[in-house]
Amino acid sequence: MDKVMSNKFVISLYVLPALLLILTLIYVPIVLTGYYGLMKWDGIGEMTFIGLENYTKLIQDADFWGSAYHSFLLALFSAVSLIGYLGISLILTSKIKGANTLRKIYLIPMLLSSVAIAQLWSKIYHPSNGMVNSFLQSIGIDNPPAWLAEPSLVLPAIFVAIIWQYAGFYILIYYAALKNIPESLIEAARIDGATPLQIAWKIKIPLIAGVIKVTIVLAIVGSLKYFDLIYVMTGGGPNGSSEVIASYMYQKAFGSYDFGYGSAIGFFLLLICLVVTWLIRKLTATKEEIQY
Amino acid sequence: MSTIAQANTKHEAKRKNSAFSKLGYGVLYAILGLIAVLQIYPLIWLFFFSLKDNQEVFNESPFSLPTDPKWENYTRVWTDGNIGLYFFNSIWITVTAVVMTVLLASFVTFAITRMKWKLSKPVLGLFMVGLMIPVHSTLIPLFDFFLKLNLIDHPLSVVLTYTAFNLPLTIMILLGFYYTLPKEVEEAAIMDGCSIHRLFFQVTLPMTLPVVSTTAIINMIYNWNEFVFINTFISSDQYKTLTVGIQNFIGQYMTEWGAIGATLMISIIPILIAFLFLSNRIVEGIAAGSVKG
Amino acid sequence: MLKKKAFAPMFVFMLSIVLLLAGCSGSEEGGGEAANSDDKVVKFMHLWPEGSSKQHNLIVKDIITEFEAANQGVKVETEILSNEQYKEKLKVLSASNELPDVGMTWAAGFMDPYVKGNMFAPLDDLIEPDSFVSGTTEAYAVDETTYGLPLELNIAPVFYNKQIFEEYNLDVPETYEEFQAIVKTLSENGVTPITLGNKDRWTGSMWYMYLADRIGGPQVITDAINREGTFEDPALVQAAEEIQSLVDMDAFVKGFNGLSNDEAKGPFMNNQAAMYLMGSWELPNYTTNEDVPQEFRDSIGFFKFPAVNGGKGDINSFVGGPGVGLFVSENSEVKEEAKEFVKFFVEKWGERSVTGAGVIPATKVDTASIELPQMYIDVLNELNAASNITLYADVQMSAAVAQEHLNLIQSLFGKEISPEQFAKEHEEVLKAEE
Repeated sequence: MDKVMSNKFVISLYVLPALLLILTLIYVPIVLTGYYGLMKWDGIGEMTFIGLENYTKLIQDADFWGSAYHSFLLALFSAVSLIGYLGISLILTSKIKGANTLRKIYLIPMLLSSVAIAQLWSKIYHPSNGMVNSFLQSIGIDNPPAWLAEPSLVLPAIFVAIIWQYAGFYILIYYAALKNIPESLIEAARIDGATPLQIAWKIKIPLIAGVIKVTIVLAIVGSLKYFDLIYVMTGGGPNGSSEVIASYMYQKAFGSYDFGYGSAIGFFLLLICLVVTWLIRKLTATKEEIQY
Repeated sequence: MSTIAQANTKHEAKRKNSAFSKLGYGVLYAILGLIAVLQIYPLIWLFFFSLKDNQEVFNESPFSLPTDPKWENYTRVWTDGNIGLYFFNSIWITVTAVVMTVLLASFVTFAITRMKWKLSKPVLGLFMVGLMIPVHSTLIPLFDFFLKLNLIDHPLSVVLTYTAFNLPLTIMILLGFYYTLPKEVEEAAIMDGCSIHRLFFQVTLPMTLPVVSTTAIINMIYNWNEFVFINTFISSDQYKTLTVGIQNFIGQYMTEWGAIGATLMISIIPILIAFLFLSNRIVEGIAAGSVKG
Repeated sequence: MLKKKAFAPMFVFMLSIVLLLAGCSGSEEGGGEAANSDDKVVKFMHLWPEGSSKQHNLIVKDIITEFEAANQGVKVETEILSNEQYKEKLKVLSASNELPDVGMTWAAGFMDPYVKGNMFAPLDDLIEPDSFVSGTTEAYAVDETTYGLPLELNIAPVFYNKQIFEEYNLDVPETYEEFQAIVKTLSENGVTPITLGNKDRWTGSMWYMYLADRIGGPQVITDAINREGTFEDPALVQAAEEIQSLVDMDAFVKGFNGLSNDEAKGPFMNNQAAMYLMGSWELPNYTTNEDVPQEFRDSIGFFKFPAVNGGKGDINSFVGGPGVGLFVSENSEVKEEAKEFVKFFVEKWGERSVTGAGVIPATKVDTASIELPQMYIDVLNELNAASNITLYADVQMSAAVAQEHLNLIQSLFGKEISPEQFAKEHEEVLKAEE
């Protein structure tokens, strides 16, 4: 058995095509991004080597840290909202009527492109005839805020849109994972008199712990490099109050012609993601030990 | 007497319980229904949006029905530009990239979770790091790379890029499932003298069909809506996709929002159908897998 | 069934080999559809797709057909992108030294890095004396050499809704005091005085520029940018103060800092906002665009930004300038043909753009010989009578400074910084660039 399962040829055959692909298409750009990060380069003319100057500038760049703070908030927000997604998936997989239809409906938003989603949410938040403010006015609030123009409100407003945008993605994953649990296990617990809540907590969630861990990493890494809706809906504004790392990087590299600095931000973002992922793995690993 | 009383209270409790649970279900359904409305609303909104002109789009409340439906938005979308061609390109590029990604990722995940080799952990790490690079950092290096291979303005550049950039995500999702999957079935198959390729294609793949469908859906949506890479690598009209087609209606100073809505609406239909189809596989696959098991 | 499945790994394996081969050997000509192998191909990237800019697109196609007919053996291939994507792609292309032979560029700050990086070819020899409106080609010049030929020229008047003005007995303002009174009346009556999409930020910048011009004269902002003056000039600080006092008067549409220019246009086009400061590229919406109701088009007029009492600027000075122009890639393999094409294009474009697409070209227009809507004639007359046209500040500035400027504009309108800070921070970024 072990012999079959450690056949070097088969392993290479299975792994190499994919590995080759990401080494050339992802790692070459990563290495080059690191390289450009050491240069003064507008992306057009000659490059000059400046060592770590971009990084020392980065460390002191208050705008960068502001955007990094927003990215971290988003990561936290996304990670917490996983609980909600998981809850909905648990309900959808329990034996309730219409679950199948509901599930399909719940996943529809995820089909929309970010162009459509950005348009939709700009309409929802429109200061005078948007849905949110129409509703607020109808319940007697005279002067509802302009959500995307208010520096203190713009970030939470966009977070809500992002959480909504990704709901389908995570519900889909959780749903498939929960459906994968053998029915016999749940049936046995039910016969033993376990309540649905107990079944969810003691059986279902531990069984899909591996999937949950993966989604935590995906949610956090995905949030740290998030770009789409923020760029389209606010462009990082007003005055940087909704700027995140990726939009800041884009602004520097493509807006200000500072490709060297933009690359340094990109590379730094990669490092942040690495550290955070490592931390998550450490944290979830210890939890696992306690559980079992 | 006491037994009757007991039975009575038990009965009572049950009735109470069912009344309570009825109420509970009512609340539950109300909430679920509300969420469903919230989730399906965008599709309806998009449909209305696609029937409006700029004036209505920016004036009326987004709830509002188009006063005078502009069906001509759809005819415009079909006649201006090459939407038929874009449509075709979108489909084949998406399908090719999805098939490649899911297959390659399944190979890798199988090798990492089922086979024994020293480098499996570091290799997995390599794939995970692939998640972390922001897309816009890769544009200039990738353009340069494809230029050297003479693949600029060639659809292969896009297909390969989609595959590579979706591999890490796909592998990670697959990984979570492979870990929870019981290994007994596979072990038994090996004992029976099953070859490793047969094991992968006849036992493991069918067993993982639900998650394969899940990742296929996710990949499909990403590829279908992607526009940064295709914009950068492709310049001739003959290889452009629907997302680029939207740009046909963005002018220097004027944007035709109604026509964009119509393009978005047209482009969502095939993916909606594919989604409904694949989404059934998530459940069916499990049934098939459990029969085999 | 079994055979089918055994076939799959083979298929994948073959596929990867094919892919690798395709990668190594290169591919067949991508994109060279109609071109004969001995034809010279001029690649041309522009911004006018058929969908949103039908007339522009049509004129471009016609010009290309004419050009190809007049120049046997030369083919022009186009690629059309929207603004944002165009800028992004141009950037990536230039990093790999793959610019199209002919493309569109914006003036001054946008093109500077390309010129310094030796990406654009000098085009001085293409300029016929007296063919362009004076001042337009200069915006595309670096060290006295011209690298782009402008295709359009715009000024920004204040468009206003005559119906709303009539309803509240308002007259076109001559002075800033009158203008303030109008704002006050409208806002007291619950009408949005001015619509503004300041998410895009250059929109707010135009308001600031006009105030700076009227208070400090036409040179004050330009001098501050090119470092002959300073941004802490009292006139520039006062202009910033005026912006904030307009905000305090509720002059601008609610939530302006979160609205795009497109969104902000909505209230104006629907008779809900009285004034809209915008470039003359909007003229078709008020004259020829059949999608806009005739009644609305008839109710729109424009006035010049009013003069400020005691200010140094006069009412005939405008914010505006050339929009896009054509460049030729310095490294083009068909540079001569490309230059020939640009020359041909600019000339034909000048003849047809204003009547065909409602674009005011940067080449001189003979108003006497063509039929135009009255508002076009009025704008062209203003253009001729203009005492000065100040190029949009964010175009004048280098890209990095422009980003700062635009962010600061948003903060100024949002009252997150004081006028003094606004001036000081400008001064700091400008100094850092010196």
